[in-house]
Amino acid sequence: MANLLFYLMATLATVCAIGVVVARSPVVSVVSLLGSFASLAIIYLLAGYQFLAAVQILVYGGAVMVLFLFTIMLLNLGDPAVIHGESEPLFHHSRRTLLGLGVAAAVGAAGLIAILRVAWSAMPQPAELPEGGLDPLDQLAASMFTHYSLAFEAASVLLLATAVGVLVLAKRNRRPTAEVFPRESQQPATPSSPPTSTPSAGAQGQEVAEEGVLS
Amino acid sequence: MTTQEIAGLIDQTYSPQTWAGLAPLLTLAGGILLLLFVELFERLHPLRAPLFLASLIGTFLAHKYAGAVGPILGGSYIVDGATVAWGQLFLASTMLAWFFARQYYRTSLAFLGEHDILLLTAPLGMTVMAGAGDLVTFFVGLELLSIPLYCLAAFRRRRNDSVEAGLKYFILGAFGVALLLYGAALTYVGTGHLDLAGIAAGLEGPGRPLAFAGLALIAGSLFFKLSIFPFHLWVPDVYQGSPTPITVLMATGTKAAALAFLMRFAAVLPGSSANLIALLAVLTMAAGNLGALVQKDLKRMLAYSGIAHAGTVLLAVAGTVAAPALAGDAIQAVLFYMAAYIFTAGGAFGILAWLEADGDLFTRIDSLRGLARRRPWLAATLSLFLLSLGGIPATGGFLGKWLVFSVSTRADLITMTILGVLLSVVALGYYLRVIVAMYMEPEPAELAPPMTERAWATFGTSLCAWMVLILGVLPGWFLGRVF
Repeated sequence: MANLLFYLMATLATVCAIGVVVARSPVVSVVSLLGSFASLAIIYLLAGYQFLAAVQILVYGGAVMVLFLFTIMLLNLGDPAVIHGESEPLFHHSRRTLLGLGVAAAVGAAGLIAILRVAWSAMPQPAELPEGGLDPLDQLAASMFTHYSLAFEAASVLLLATAVGVLVLAKRNRRPTAEVFPRESQQPATPSSPPTSTPSAGAQGQEVAEEGVLS
Repeated sequence: MTTQEIAGLIDQTYSPQTWAGLAPLLTLAGGILLLLFVELFERLHPLRAPLFLASLIGTFLAHKYAGAVGPILGGSYIVDGATVAWGQLFLASTMLAWFFARQYYRTSLAFLGEHDILLLTAPLGMTVMAGAGDLVTFFVGLELLSIPLYCLAAFRRRRNDSVEAGLKYFILGAFGVALLLYGAALTYVGTGHLDLAGIAAGLEGPGRPLAFAGLALIAGSLFFKLSIFPFHLWVPDVYQGSPTPITVLMATGTKAAALAFLMRFAAVLPGSSANLIALLAVLTMAAGNLGALVQKDLKRMLAYSGIAHAGTVLLAVAGTVAAPALAGDAIQAVLFYMAAYIFTAGGAFGILAWLEADGDLFTRIDSLRGLARRRPWLAATLSLFLLSLGGIPATGGFLGKWLVFSVSTRADLITMTILGVLLSVVALGYYLRVIVAMYMEPEPAELAPPMTERAWATFGTSLCAWMVLILGVLPGWFLGRVF
């Protein structure tokens, strides 16, 4: 029963993951991602990791997904084929696609051979699942704050750096070049060009062109 | 687990020794936080530069005085002599990148504070990578290094080439990290361990084939960061599109960090993989050197030359895999090679950054023609760096190559070593072409606008030049300091 459920969930997770990549509409992508997260949570539960399963649902299924959906809804993205009035196939039947598929198949085959050659009977088998699951909170906390504390703390610096990086890439210029779009500047870059208070459609268009690809 | 047990565990983990080992990382993290705080108030902005330099110097001193304290945090972070030496090299690489970034940017001025913060995060990740004793710590260190670099590569976000470089680096980097994680998962299934010592012991068990598949994938992700054939194709585009000061960091620091962990990781790899690694090394040298021969753009040529150098130093890794008894010599050779490479390539890319100023002028070899008549000192320094890259005696580059080839020869990789030496001679062809252009060819008809004098860049370039000479003439000074 548990095995059957595992295979079901593993298939579902894979199908959903493929769906994230091939879906044309971002909303479909996000919902596929949600399906993938949920099936992963059930796999964690089957493996005895109750806390991890709960966190997976709460953090990824809940918070992250809502953020994704909100962003997509606010950006008002639709089907790109509809927006651009054209529909291109996602994968062209070219030599590169064949090459990519060939490499993927070779890597997959190598992995399969490695797995088949493992003597499973000699591998240590997991014992019966303990009552509180495999990850009681106190042990998780103990290893996180002793053995893995460097990775844990470094991850916090990583998140900080990511936030700074996102700001650099996505924020509008704090001190814009005065000639191009003076209306945004609280303090003009040069005293000789005071900011004009009325925003105009022309300035808006110029700004988009100036800001380029990312904003 | 009772409260007393937990308290005991925490006391046992956080001994003074642990704090000493973590001191350099904590100093860097403190510097990052202070820089973030300074960004809050415009009046504090003049403090940026002193704070940045103070963090680097403080971390350097922390490395020096805390010293090698051995494995800490249950073996997940290993502070040995190599970690300390690598940590100091990463700081040197970051400092060079920062010197050359002064007065480099013309259009992205608004985010210079954030630039420095991201720049200071990179050595933190590199040091974590160099000392990582298990794959989890290594993974976090790798991300901590990569994510700031993705953003910095795309830092000149109004320029298409910069955004393209950032995006390419990000997508391929994410692919490399996926390889790493898949490999770590397979290794864990095969051996039941994530720490390197446990993996080495678990390789004897029944999960051997699966663990080998995992180790191969992890090595692949390391080769990607190190730009080893066939994972080298991203390098020219990314190096060319990134702001040149960031290219300095990518070409020197990132490579050194991947190599630092690879040297630790090599102890786990089976001896039979040595020939494959040596073959990859020679193929990388061939790809880099032959690619560089046909380049017309100096920055792109230096990128290909960086690929070739990664191949050379990989020969030492193959040597230590083939003969584990040579591990001490191999780490010394690799450290020396990378120390010389950081100052040589750092100086060469730095001069390029100085000449071009925000990517507008002067990256073609043609525009360097006759530079020796206009700027004799600059041309002489650039020639010194190019000769050191080519491995001419009396420069640091020569001695690095000598140490690496001596390790691979003693490990019985004779054929590959001979091929490597021959390919190094090919490399001289394109290095000398630039020198010929600077000294013997007439100046182009329309001269580029005169470059601005930049004090920091002058200082950085002369520092690099002195270090290349010192490493070449007095290698004992460096080697005696490290071990």
